[in-house]
Amino acid sequence: MSATTAETAVPTRPSALRLLLREPAAAASLAIVALAVLCAVFAPWLAPHDPYETNLVAIMQPPGGDYLLGTDGQGRDMLSRMLYGLRVTLGMGALSLAFGGVLGVLIGFAAAYYRRVDNLLMRLMDILLSFPAILFGLAIAAIFGPGIPSVVLALAVATVPLMARIARSAAITVLGLDYIEAARAQGMGDARLIWKHLAPNCLSPILVFATLRFGQVILLGSALSFLGLGAQPPVAELGAMASQGRTFLFFAPHISVLPCLVIFVVVLAFNVLGDALRDALDPRLRI
Amino acid sequence: MSQPLLQIEGLRTVFRSSVGEIAAVDGVDLAVPRGRTLGIVGESGCGKSMLSLSVMRLVPPPGRIAAGRVMLEGRNLLELSPAGMREVRGSRVAMIFQEPMTSLNPVHSIGRQITEAMRAHDKTASAAELRDRAIEALKRVRIPAPERRFDDYPHQLSGGMRQRVMIAMALACRPALLIADEPTTALDVTVQAQILDLLRELQAETGMSIILITHDLGVVAEMADEVAVMYAGRVIERAAATDIFASPQHPYTLGLLGSIPRLDEDRERLLAIEGAVPPPFALPKGCRFHPRCPFAIEACKAAQPALEQIAPDHLAACIRAPVEQAVELVA
Repeated sequence: MSATTAETAVPTRPSALRLLLREPAAAASLAIVALAVLCAVFAPWLAPHDPYETNLVAIMQPPGGDYLLGTDGQGRDMLSRMLYGLRVTLGMGALSLAFGGVLGVLIGFAAAYYRRVDNLLMRLMDILLSFPAILFGLAIAAIFGPGIPSVVLALAVATVPLMARIARSAAITVLGLDYIEAARAQGMGDARLIWKHLAPNCLSPILVFATLRFGQVILLGSALSFLGLGAQPPVAELGAMASQGRTFLFFAPHISVLPCLVIFVVVLAFNVLGDALRDALDPRLRI
Repeated sequence: MSQPLLQIEGLRTVFRSSVGEIAAVDGVDLAVPRGRTLGIVGESGCGKSMLSLSVMRLVPPPGRIAAGRVMLEGRNLLELSPAGMREVRGSRVAMIFQEPMTSLNPVHSIGRQITEAMRAHDKTASAAELRDRAIEALKRVRIPAPERRFDDYPHQLSGGMRQRVMIAMALACRPALLIADEPTTALDVTVQAQILDLLRELQAETGMSIILITHDLGVVAEMADEVAVMYAGRVIERAAATDIFASPQHPYTLGLLGSIPRLDEDRERLLAIEGAVPPPFALPKGCRFHPRCPFAIEACKAAQPALEQIAPDHLAACIRAPVEQAVELVA
C-alpha cells in the first residue's frame, strides 16, 4: 500500500541535486565552484612556481612563455599567486561565513523559539544591519590592526544579522506546524526539539542564503584587502593582488585584471548557484 | 469508586487581548476514571481543544492557565516544574492530533520519529533496543510489515497509516491517559471506523483512559463511556453516554442531537440551532446559551446556572432542566 502523491513529496537530496544539474547554468556554476575549491585546496601541488619567489630579471612578463600567466611587478609567477590567492580568499570567506552563519542561525532560532527575547535580539540585529560591512572592516582594522583575522571578524559580524533574519523567519514558519506541537506533546525538551525538528526543516532557506552570501563575502573580503585592510604584502590574496597591480595598469594590465577576473567568475558562479539551489529546493516548483 | 485517574477542578484558561482577558475555558470540572473514555463534545470554538492543551500545559501564548487544578494520579500538573511537566508529557499523558498529514515531521523516517519519542523519556536504552520497541509499537497499531515500514517517510504513507503512526508514537511510552483531539475528523469514514476500533482495542490491552474530543456525536456514541458537552468555555451537561443520547437535559445538547441526520426516522428537515456561538469577548449575561435557547425565560438572563445534579450521575447547567417539563410548557 503506497500512497505517494506529488504535492506531499519531501525534498530529498538526490532529487534536488538532479533538478539542479538539469539547469545548464546551474551545472556550469556548480562546476566552477567545485573547480575553484579544488584549485584552492590543492594549490601547493598545482602551482608551477613558489608564489613568493621573486625573479627580478623577469618582472611584468605578459602571459605566455616561461610563466603561463605572466609575472607581477616583483617577477613572481601570477598563476601560482592566484592559486594561493584563491586559497586565502575562499578561506576568509568560508571562515567568516561559518562564524557569522552559525551565530546568526542560533540567534534567529532563539528569537523565533523564545518569543520573549525576540524583540530584543532582532532590534540588536537591526542595529548591526545599519552599518555597511566596509565600515565594520575599517573599525575592526583600526582596533586590531589590518590583517586577515580582522577581515574575517568584520565579515562575520556583518553576516550575523542577515542570517539571523533568514533563520528566524524560516523557524517561525516551521514552529507553527503541527509536528512541532506533537513533539512538544511527547515531552521533548527544547534543545532536542530545535535540533531534531526545527533545524532540518529550516535547512533549505539557510543553505540558499549561505551560498549567495558566500559570493558577497568573497567580494567584500577582496574589497577590504584591496583597500589595504586585509591581507598584507607579500601574502597572495586576490583583492590585494589587484590592488598591487593597479600601479602597472597601463604597462602590464594582466597583474590586476587576472585576479579581478577570477573574483568575478567565482562570485558570479556562487550567485547563479544560490538562485538555482533556491529553485531546486523549493518543493512548490517541483514537477 | 476509587480515585479517578484525572480530575480537573475549576480550570480556567485565559487569553490576554486588546479587549481584556478572554476566557477560552471558564471554570471546568471533569473527571476521567481509569480505563474509561470521556467524550468532550461541542461546536468549533467552544474551548474543547484549549481544555486538552491546558491539561498538557501547552496553551500557546498569549494564553495562560489562570486558575484551577489538574490532578493526575494524585499530582497537580499545574504545580509541576517545566522539566517535571516534560517528564509527564508523552510518558503519562499523550496526545494525538487532528491532522495526521502534518503532525509528522517530513524530514525524518517514521521509525526515527517513534524512537525519538521513546528517547525523550528513556536516555539509557540502546539504539537497537529502541528500534525493536518501535517496530513492536508499529505492530501494535496493526501496521503491516513494520520492519519495512520503519524506514518509510511520512509522505509514503496514507492518512490512515499516518494516524496509526501517530498513535504508535503517542503510546510508545505507555501513557495512562491519551488525549485524542478530533483523531478521525480528517479521515474518510471507513478509515475512521478502523482507527476508532484500534483505539478501543488498545484501550482494552493497556487499560489506559482516553479523552476523546470531537464534534461528531456518532463517534462519541460509539466510543465514550461518559460525555461532557461544552458550550462557550463551560461544561453544560455531563452524563453517561447512554443517558446523554436517551434523555438529553440541556437545551443545547437537545439541539445538537436534533441536528444529526438519522436513517431510522422520517424527518423533513434537520433541526438547526438558531444563531452562532457567541464570541468569547461578547458573552451574554446569565446563561450563555439563552439567546439561542427555545426554552429561555426571563430568569435565564439573570444568572449563570451552575452544573447541578438532575438525575443520578447526570449533571446539567440549566434552570429549566429536567427539560421534559420545559418541553411540556412550550407545547
